[in-house]
This record gives sequence, C-alpha cells and structure tokens, in this order.
Amino acid sequence: MKWVIVTGDSKGLGKEIVGKILSDTEFGVVGISRSNEESVKELLDKYPNRFKHISFDLEKVADIKELYIKQIRKIGPIYGLVNNSAYAYDDIVSNLNVENLERMYKVNVFSPMHLTKYAIRDMLLNKIEGSIVHISSVSAHTGYKGLSMYASTKGAMEAFSKNTAREWGARGIRSNCVVPGFMETSMSASLTNEQKDRIYKRTSMKKETDVESVANSVVFLLSEKARSITGTAIHVDNGTI
Amino acid sequence: MINKVANIINEMLEETGQDKVENFDPSMSLRDELNLDSLMLAELTVRLEDEFGVDIFEDGVVRTLGEVIAKLEGK
Repeated sequence: MKWVIVTGDSKGLGKEIVGKILSDTEFGVVGISRSNEESVKELLDKYPNRFKHISFDLEKVADIKELYIKQIRKIGPIYGLVNNSAYAYDDIVSNLNVENLERMYKVNVFSPMHLTKYAIRDMLLNKIEGSIVHISSVSAHTGYKGLSMYASTKGAMEAFSKNTAREWGARGIRSNCVVPGFMETSMSASLTNEQKDRIYKRTSMKKETDVESVANSVVFLLSEKARSITGTAIHVDNGTI
Repeated sequence: MINKVANIINEMLEETGQDKVENFDPSMSLRDELNLDSLMLAELTVRLEDEFGVDIFEDGVVRTLGEVIAKLEGK
C-alpha cells in the first residue's frame, strides 16, 4: 500500500481531507499533528490498517529528518503529501512580533518544505510518481486587513510549489496548490460575524467556502485523474474575484 | 565500498539508457565523467542513504567518486 502524509489531521479541513482520502481512494494516510490519538480516534477505529497518526509539533523543523527516518519511512512508501497544517498569526503589520512571525514561518513554510524534501526523496527511492498538494489561502491573492504576514507564508508556498513542479516534473512528481476561501473552521473562529459577513460579501456566491468542496479538490489533485496537472493552483473560494 | 557505489551508479546509468562504466576511479567527476545530472545525483543520494545511512550532500557538495566514498566512510 502507498501512503499519503496529511498534516493537521485532527480537525477542520485536514480531518475532512483524511476522511475523503480514506473513503474515496485506496491510499493509506499518515496524519501528523500536535494532537494526541484521541482527536482522531474515530478514523483510527474505522480504518485501523490504513490510517496512522503521529503526534508531532511542526514548529520543530530540525526534528523532521528524524520524524521521517524513524517513523514515516517505516510505515511504507510515500505517494503523496498534503501540507495542510497552518498557524494563523493575524495582526496589522505595524504590530509585527518577531517571535510569532518566526513561529508561523516554521509551521507554515519551513516544515512543509522539509516534509516535501523527504517525500520527494522517498518517491525517488521507491520510483513513485507522486503528488504533492499545499493548502494555500485566498489571502495570498486578495488583500485582507490583518492578514499580510499570514498571506506571505501562503504566497511563499505557492512559489515553492510552482518551482518544485518544474524541478521534479521529469520524474513524474507533481506539485499543486489548493487555494481555499474563508471556511467555517477553527482558523477563522476569532472573526466576528460582522467580519465574516464582510468577507463573504466579497465572494461571487456570497457565502463561506464549503470545506468538503476543498477536500474533494485536494483528493482530485492527489489522484491519477489529475495526472496532467502540475505547477498550478485551484481556487476553491466561491469566486473571490 | 567502491564496488557497491559503482554498482548503484551503473544501475542508474542503465535505467536511463546510458552506457555502463567499466573501470571506476576515485578521481572521477560525478557530473562530467559519470554523466550524473542534478536529479540523478539526488537519486544517488537517496539510494546511498538507504544502503549506508549517510546523506552525502547534507553538509556540502561532493564532486568526485572519491569524495562520495570518504563521506560514506565518515572521513
């Protein structure tokens, strides 16, 4: 069995993506998040052989090599990677706090890059034409007050994805981004209803982005159906244009 | 050691439709004489890491077969 790594598997979009991969494909899933196994117990019970959860704090960038060598590679060959975990440090830039900013870059940029490094190395070793999907954000394309620093982490990953696609395309390894609009998850829980309404009014469809639609897009990009798609981004945002 | 590394390199050359190398010498350049491009060097790195547990490119660039052997031998 081939495996897909999904970060941030314990809640929100990540949990939805894990559920979709397990129900719609034959891949196994290696879920990574800070949370313990209790948070994903339902999935572990339902898919005891196809779902593994590893508790790991993605702020510990330097430990990712050990995470890969001692845990991930022992599970099985890697076919896919979904970089979904993100830390939201929202504030106007004149209040920039360097510790928060560094923490956000570790979780949103440096760890995803490190995981990509080891996923591609695993694919090379096992001769697997795999698929990498990064979860970006509409904020990297349309400005929102207070999201400049967060949006910059997503813009970094979109540029990284496009270039890794170019770098590894000759080996059949694909890299794409899914760009969700605002969803009703814990990431947007700190927004007031008034703020949410203002954001949703900026979309063509005047409402929040459906989490399941985003997860379906991720599973599509992972799948063989998307074999000619690489180096691009699919916007799943109710038309924020 | 040199024979194991030579076998891996020849396997890779064969897989990419290139001629195998008969006589390996530690002074041989990985890129110019053994025809390994950057993606093939990446593949060589992961194959050697799988066999020997050493990442030859982790802390600097290696240019020759002899430098690869030295890294693997921990010198």
